[in-house]
Amino acid sequence: MKSLVLSSVVAAIVVFSGCSSKEAMVDKSAANQGTTKEVKSVASETVTKDNAIVTSEDNSIKVLTKSDIEAKLLSVYFAFDKYSIPVDGSVNVSTDVTTIKSDANGFGIKLEGNCDEWGSDEYNFALGLKRATSVKKALVAEGIAASRISVISYGESNPVCSDKTQDCWAKNRRVDFSLIK
Amino acid sequence: MKIIFLIVMLINFAQASDATIDVIKKVEALPNIAVEDATLTYDETFKLTFFKSIVADLNVLSIFNVDRHYKTGYFGDDVVVENKDVNYVLKYEMDEGDAHSLIVKVVLLKNREEVFSKTYRVGDSTVYMFVSHAIAYDLNEFMGEPSVEWMKRKVIFSRIVAPRKSEIVIADYTLSYQKVVVQGGFSVFPKWANDEQNAFYYTSLDANEPKLLHVDLRTAKVTSLLSSQGMLVCSDVSKDGTQLLLTMAKYGQPDIFVYDTKRKRYKRVTTYSGIDVNGQFLDKNKIVFISNRLGYPNVFSKKIGSPDVEQMVYYGNSNSACSVHGDYIVYKARESSNSFSKNTFNLHLISQKTDFIRRLTATGVNEFPKFSKDGDAILFIKSYKFQSSIGIIRLAYNKNYLFPLKSGKIQSMDW
Repeated sequence: MKSLVLSSVVAAIVVFSGCSSKEAMVDKSAANQGTTKEVKSVASETVTKDNAIVTSEDNSIKVLTKSDIEAKLLSVYFAFDKYSIPVDGSVNVSTDVTTIKSDANGFGIKLEGNCDEWGSDEYNFALGLKRATSVKKALVAEGIAASRISVISYGESNPVCSDKTQDCWAKNRRVDFSLIK
Repeated sequence: MKIIFLIVMLINFAQASDATIDVIKKVEALPNIAVEDATLTYDETFKLTFFKSIVADLNVLSIFNVDRHYKTGYFGDDVVVENKDVNYVLKYEMDEGDAHSLIVKVVLLKNREEVFSKTYRVGDSTVYMFVSHAIAYDLNEFMGEPSVEWMKRKVIFSRIVAPRKSEIVIADYTLSYQKVVVQGGFSVFPKWANDEQNAFYYTSLDANEPKLLHVDLRTAKVTSLLSSQGMLVCSDVSKDGTQLLLTMAKYGQPDIFVYDTKRKRYKRVTTYSGIDVNGQFLDKNKIVFISNRLGYPNVFSKKIGSPDVEQMVYYGNSNSACSVHGDYIVYKARESSNSFSKNTFNLHLISQKTDFIRRLTATGVNEFPKFSKDGDAILFIKSYKFQSSIGIIRLAYNKNYLFPLKSGKIQSMDW
């Protein structure tokens, strides 16, 4: 056993001593041709925090609340002591029909009739109701199911203003929309 | 000739009893009355407040010339020197009884001799005005004048406190006493349910559909009678309290119905496709109501069960509220032709029996006319030059009295 190890060591010494005398072979031809050309660095873009954000507007679907939809529904205004829808009121009704058929599709519609302060309140409650009914008829004519629509009147008890002016009285002669789940 | 003379005399007598004829009396000397306060307790403010209440009530009686000067004296059969020539002197003394009750002793002197005396007691000095009304009522009875029972009756009204928020209040006829009985929601059109005034109806708009409710003031029990889409108002109650006239929109548009409170059934009375509201019983089978069937609000009558409708008023361009007593109808009329001018609304009185119209007010916006139960007086609200007042019209005396109103916007009222 001892003789085997000894002979292996001797063999290794002979092999490695023979390699150490070699010199590395270097190609000297390139060194003789000048310095190496520096190439352009690869164009890079720094991605900052700002640019990295993907905006939610572009990518998410916005959910409208009940209040948002009600804010889109336009009130319909009426002439003094009248409950037929005037021409500009019809424009509002058409706009409202679009909203009801789209955004408000899952809701019931409550039409709230209102009046200015002139006349007795019982008469005004009836007048407000007729106004709400006129709007209901207009909505049904445009394809809204009658079963989705209810009407109520608040007479002169739900004013949006209290000034004694024609402008304020005109604002109070109206039908408002509200949504019911 | 004798027959013609007799017929003319009969016509004159008939006209003399018609309230639509203006009562123009010759200048008649009404007896004078002065009031002396013999109170030793209570502060000066309360003493003056009570004095003003007594003087106001005596004025409304319309049977005295009332001295409005505050005078103090001793309780007894003597008067202060300024009153020695006055026909009548009313002396009173207030005192505080057990548990803060108010006791008022009263004596009436005629030509310095005692002719009437009484003692009144209420649970609290805050309801002093009811003592004042009772004193005036008793003096009126003592003087043998037509009854002023209405002076002791309560008024019920709804008051708007914010958009779609209102409260129901019970008050005396001057509205100086007020007690809120329904609060916090949207409660409108209160109506006394009976003569005793211990129950009332009102409409609640808190839910999606209007509901008619009955409230028993003795037990505080609230009962729901009906609900209706759109609109539901109790406009009138029959004398026996069993029938109600309702304005309902059962079929989507406002019509008048009669409701039987015992059978709990209703029957449609009007069928016009426009506006029919404010039904009032003329008698058991006939009503007066407001309708726009001529293109503007006006007063009509009809028999229940009959399709025929009779126009009652042929004057004015907007007659939008009415109240009925016997053959008489008081209604509110717009008197300016332009909808947007400074509008004047006046009260007018007509009779089923004659063609006369009597204008009862002259200026401002006069609304919510209500006959007293006995038809002697009409209660109303007046707004004139930014001041609101509650008004009393004494029909037989052709006089109107106003009390300043600080109650906010009144939505509806019943007496």
